[in-house]
Amino acid sequence: MTWPRPKLVRTRLTLWYVFVLGALLVVFAASASFVLVWHMRAQLERQAVQDLETVEGLLYFSGDGQLRLNEEYHNHPESKLVQDRLLEVLSVDGMILYRNDRLGMRTIGGAPFTGEGVGGYSERSIHASDGTLVILASRQHLLQGYPILIRLAYSQKPIWNRLTHFLLILLLALPLTLAAAGFAGYMMANRALDPIGQMAQRAEQITTERLHDRLPIESNDELGHLARVFNQMLSRIEQSFEQLRRFTADASHELRTPLASIRSVGEVGLQKDASPEEYRDTIGSMLEEINRLTSLIDSLLTLSRADAGQIPMKLEVFPIAEIMEEAASLLDVLIEEKRLTFNFEGEKNALVRGDRLILRQAAVNILHNAVKFTPAGGSISARVICEGSCTLLSITDNGPGIATEHLTKVFDRFYRVDPARADENKGAGLGLSIAQWAARAHDGEIGLSTVPEGGCKFWIRLPLVSSNPAV
Amino acid sequence: MQILVVEDEEKLAGALQKGLEAEKHSVRVVHSGEEAFFLASTERFDLVLLDIMLPGRDGLDILRALRQKNSNLPVLILTSKDAVEDRVRGLKAGADDYLVKPFAFPELLARVEAIARRSNRTEVTSAMRLADLEMDTLRHSASREGHELTLTSREFELLEYLLRHQDRVVSREMLARDVWNETGRYTPLDNVIDVHIAHLRQKLDEPFGKRLLHTVRGVGFVLREEM
Repeated sequence: MTWPRPKLVRTRLTLWYVFVLGALLVVFAASASFVLVWHMRAQLERQAVQDLETVEGLLYFSGDGQLRLNEEYHNHPESKLVQDRLLEVLSVDGMILYRNDRLGMRTIGGAPFTGEGVGGYSERSIHASDGTLVILASRQHLLQGYPILIRLAYSQKPIWNRLTHFLLILLLALPLTLAAAGFAGYMMANRALDPIGQMAQRAEQITTERLHDRLPIESNDELGHLARVFNQMLSRIEQSFEQLRRFTADASHELRTPLASIRSVGEVGLQKDASPEEYRDTIGSMLEEINRLTSLIDSLLTLSRADAGQIPMKLEVFPIAEIMEEAASLLDVLIEEKRLTFNFEGEKNALVRGDRLILRQAAVNILHNAVKFTPAGGSISARVICEGSCTLLSITDNGPGIATEHLTKVFDRFYRVDPARADENKGAGLGLSIAQWAARAHDGEIGLSTVPEGGCKFWIRLPLVSSNPAV
Repeated sequence: MQILVVEDEEKLAGALQKGLEAEKHSVRVVHSGEEAFFLASTERFDLVLLDIMLPGRDGLDILRALRQKNSNLPVLILTSKDAVEDRVRGLKAGADDYLVKPFAFPELLARVEAIARRSNRTEVTSAMRLADLEMDTLRHSASREGHELTLTSREFELLEYLLRHQDRVVSREMLARDVWNETGRYTPLDNVIDVHIAHLRQKLDEPFGKRLLHTVRGVGFVLREEM
């Protein structure tokens, strides 16, 4: 059987609280009853011994040889527990010599057991002949030279009466206590959990339009911690949203620019009759824009697949220097064209694991970027060095460098240091974003720093597989 | 060649028809899968250009049905889905080749001819000529008016490719893929190609009177003798 699980934490907390308290109270009642019974029995036994001694002194044989009890002297105050005093005196061979009135015709214990009352007091819990549970104290005594066995018994009924009484009181108090505790527990849970409700309410109001809202942090406790974590998460979400929004705006701007050119070139071309040569030129110009548009969409598609992790990687191990050499040989004609000097040095055997084409793409894009921004006659140098468990590929140019405020943004999509120079020669501003993705997809990092003597240094840091000097 | 064009986008279908007819092919255009299947099973074609996204019956469906009936009709699929798995599915369904939209028309022509060559088994020759340009790929030599041209190996490959496709416009994408072996569409090689073309032009055309290497604005380059 399964219990229906209460929906609210506060209800669950309260129920647990009440349950645990109830269990504790039951344990308490049990141990208290045990102690109570034990204590009262000990008291009764002590009483019995005292009484036994008194009775010894009061017994005498009368003239006719009958055993009698001097009742007149028996006036010591009886505790409530010992009201039910039963007295039996036997001869050592088991003959009943005396019974008090309260005992009447009943017997306690029957024939004496071996060693009963010899050399001290015997105490035991037995049933009298009518079934009453009694505490029996017995002692052998030499009365006027005649050995007798004195048995004194007290009914245990008062003990059980008291216990019942005690338990009854507890039974009445328990539900009340539990109800009070439950109520108090519920209030406490409420107080503790209220801030969560408030946080939830506040969080509900934070929509995409109001992402700058934050949860109030009122304390330094666990809930304050939770609120802080929430706020940090909100900051990250806001940042990604902002990035996405800017990306969408930039993308539509970038797509619209070639479209506007195509449109106006086409419209102008149709305005008046022209020679086939002029028409050819018009169409060619439109096709150029279309090519731009196509490669832009290809890059965007690549990036969005990369974001979704949908680009399959063919992993292999190879020296990172190779991709740099390949990139350089691909672009050497551009380097020569601008009369740039290019040199490449460093660890030729530093091995990395990755998709060769994707990593080469990154190297090509960075080198291409350097070629574009280095003025004619300048120089570009590439280096591969090993740093602990990483290898660092860097490409340094001696171009004009880059202002510090752009340093972190150059890898953003569509970011251009100088927006006015967005001609087709400089590309759409996606090459470095693709390079960044390539580095990150290989558990690497990409970065840019300025060089003191001018120019900038792009670097890609990748985990090193090993550096094999033998190859 | 008898070419069946299956394309529901009428503008594109019309452009394909015009372009292929200008290349002396005879073209039938249909706009739906059912029509395509009917025509392909009743008439004889040398090649089918098949769009994947079609109203009614899916292009891949048609392809599979065709393959079950007539196993060797060459099919080139046109798809706007650039994902690898779509290409794989297309090739698995029995396509001979595929092109991703938007494609350059010269590219389409080159693919169509490659398929035609495959079925005709024409020999690839090592010696080629155009006007006074002679080239021998075995001897690795090229000359104009009998004068040897000194070309770098990349320039030689470029010239060879242009000469093999003489009188045809060759797009930058084709050059990037076939001469530079760049498979990634997003590797921006346009600048590199342009510079190499400029170098080649300096050696090939400038010392001689007649220009052979022409730029077709917005499309690419062509090696031809202008009348």
